[in-house]
Amino acid sequence: MPVSPVPKTTANALETQGIGKRFGGFWAVKDVTFSVRPGERRAILGPNGAGKTSLFNILTGDYAASSGSIRLFGEDVTKSSVPKRIKNGLRRTYQHAYLFDGLSVHDTLFLAVAGLRGGWRQILPVRKSDPRRIEAERLAEVCGIPEFLDRMVSDLSHGQRRQLEIGIALAEDPKVLLLDEPAAGLSPAERPQLSNLLLSLPTDVTVILIEHDMDIAFRTSESVTVLFNGQLMAEGTPDEVMANKDVHEIYVGGTHSE
Amino acid sequence: MRYLIVLIPALLLPFVLTDFWLAQVLTRSLILGIIALSLSFLATYLGVVSFAQASLAGVAGYAIAYFGPNTVGIGVPLPFIVKLPLALLLAMIAGALIGFVARRSRGIYAIMITLAIGVAFFYFTRQNYVLFNGFTGFSGVLPPALGDRSWGDPRPLYYLSLGVAIICVAMVQGFVRSPLGLAVQAVRDAPGRLLALGIPTTFPIIAAFAFSGLIAGSGGILNAWFQERVSSFSVGFGPIIDILIISVIGGLRHPTGAFVGAIVYVILDIFAIDLIDRDRFNLLIGIVLLAIVVAAPNGLQQLAIDWVGALRKRAAKTPAN
Repeated sequence: MPVSPVPKTTANALETQGIGKRFGGFWAVKDVTFSVRPGERRAILGPNGAGKTSLFNILTGDYAASSGSIRLFGEDVTKSSVPKRIKNGLRRTYQHAYLFDGLSVHDTLFLAVAGLRGGWRQILPVRKSDPRRIEAERLAEVCGIPEFLDRMVSDLSHGQRRQLEIGIALAEDPKVLLLDEPAAGLSPAERPQLSNLLLSLPTDVTVILIEHDMDIAFRTSESVTVLFNGQLMAEGTPDEVMANKDVHEIYVGGTHSE
Repeated sequence: MRYLIVLIPALLLPFVLTDFWLAQVLTRSLILGIIALSLSFLATYLGVVSFAQASLAGVAGYAIAYFGPNTVGIGVPLPFIVKLPLALLLAMIAGALIGFVARRSRGIYAIMITLAIGVAFFYFTRQNYVLFNGFTGFSGVLPPALGDRSWGDPRPLYYLSLGVAIICVAMVQGFVRSPLGLAVQAVRDAPGRLLALGIPTTFPIIAAFAFSGLIAGSGGILNAWFQERVSSFSVGFGPIIDILIISVIGGLRHPTGAFVGAIVYVILDIFAIDLIDRDRFNLLIGIVLLAIVVAAPNGLQQLAIDWVGALRKRAAKTPAN
């Protein structure tokens, strides 16, 4: 498999060493060590409550890790703030579409592109010809909702909201994308559209995807990590992981032997 | 174009109305509308109901009194060109401080915090004599001269208030189209999501409060000139509640709703006393306000817009038949 061009460093895009998160006496994520190459497409599987979203929350900094370390392109970000990690190129989407309902699609994408940089000019109305607005239009195109630019986010369908989530995550040169169940709640007709969108993402972007839909996960990912009860259970190519007896058991449901 | 329908009559009214109507009804409505606009702005775009807007107006009003001519012999007179921006700046700083204190509060908690601040400020002005001259406050707070007349005369003050009101509405409409204004609305809808974009949430909240301080302060200065005085009564429970009522009956959908609410409120406030027994005029005001809130849950302005929409539909249908 050809190795994607690596920005500046040859380090892994993302690398964790024994990370965990404890809530009281309960480890939601425990001792997870894995690494993802730059440009890799990785799916994270696991039954409900396996700790997938908690793992994302640790990676993004929404949760402070109770143990272990996280490296983003070789740099230790275990203790870094959320904005710092975002600055380093880490982006995420949310399992439950969490968007600005009172803004238009255009304004939402504009905000994702523009942030709040540029000093006092941030209090001036944005011009139509502003390059950041044009970039927002391009993002709407990329995530497949260009015709809804002027629509309020609250008026979008569930599928369109998911697409907008991805559009937001693609703003401002992302390097590692964490997608939390992008296909959740989509109709069967919308699913192929979403996997096409995932396949069309720029190849230099590393994508880590939580997904329950096996078709989408295996179609869009080259490697799979399986979590179970907060711990890493299996890792490998889709074929290897499907051949794994333990994985087979939790997904297809074997008998519970003591 | 739509604005001209309101603007042209507004410009011509001083030539047909008596001074009483001009000053006591229209100018007062404009001033209260500006202060209520600062609340409508916060409620609509930041999603926070602030009870401290009367205090912000009061900060600017007190500042213009303290740094200007007054008849109580307190304060440091400064030239107009200095004291005006200074008063507005102080109102913005006060707004920013309130925003900082209330930055993590939403809903009823934000109401409680801002109400506490408003009430504390009210009692502080009553008890502090060095800056606020206690209970009596400042009198003789005159606006600057306009040639051989004064900006405080009915017509000049009306046009001044109208101009400030237009500028404030334009500022709100510009601000909410700016990156910072969009971030303020994003804080209202999904603060955690904004944070995940790498945009801090505290700064937009503080900025929104500071901006509301600028608007409330503009109204506060006009109010001090209009009444020629500023005292603890300008920042007490009365004004706090009045501003809330005006914002709610006007409607929060559009910034100009505050002015619709203000006119209705002022007319009620002035004429209710003529219609009903002196002891019971507050009852009439209360009943009318209740009726408005029930009949127009989104405010009078939205009700009018809905009616116009319905009439237009009917008009469009008629020729087809």
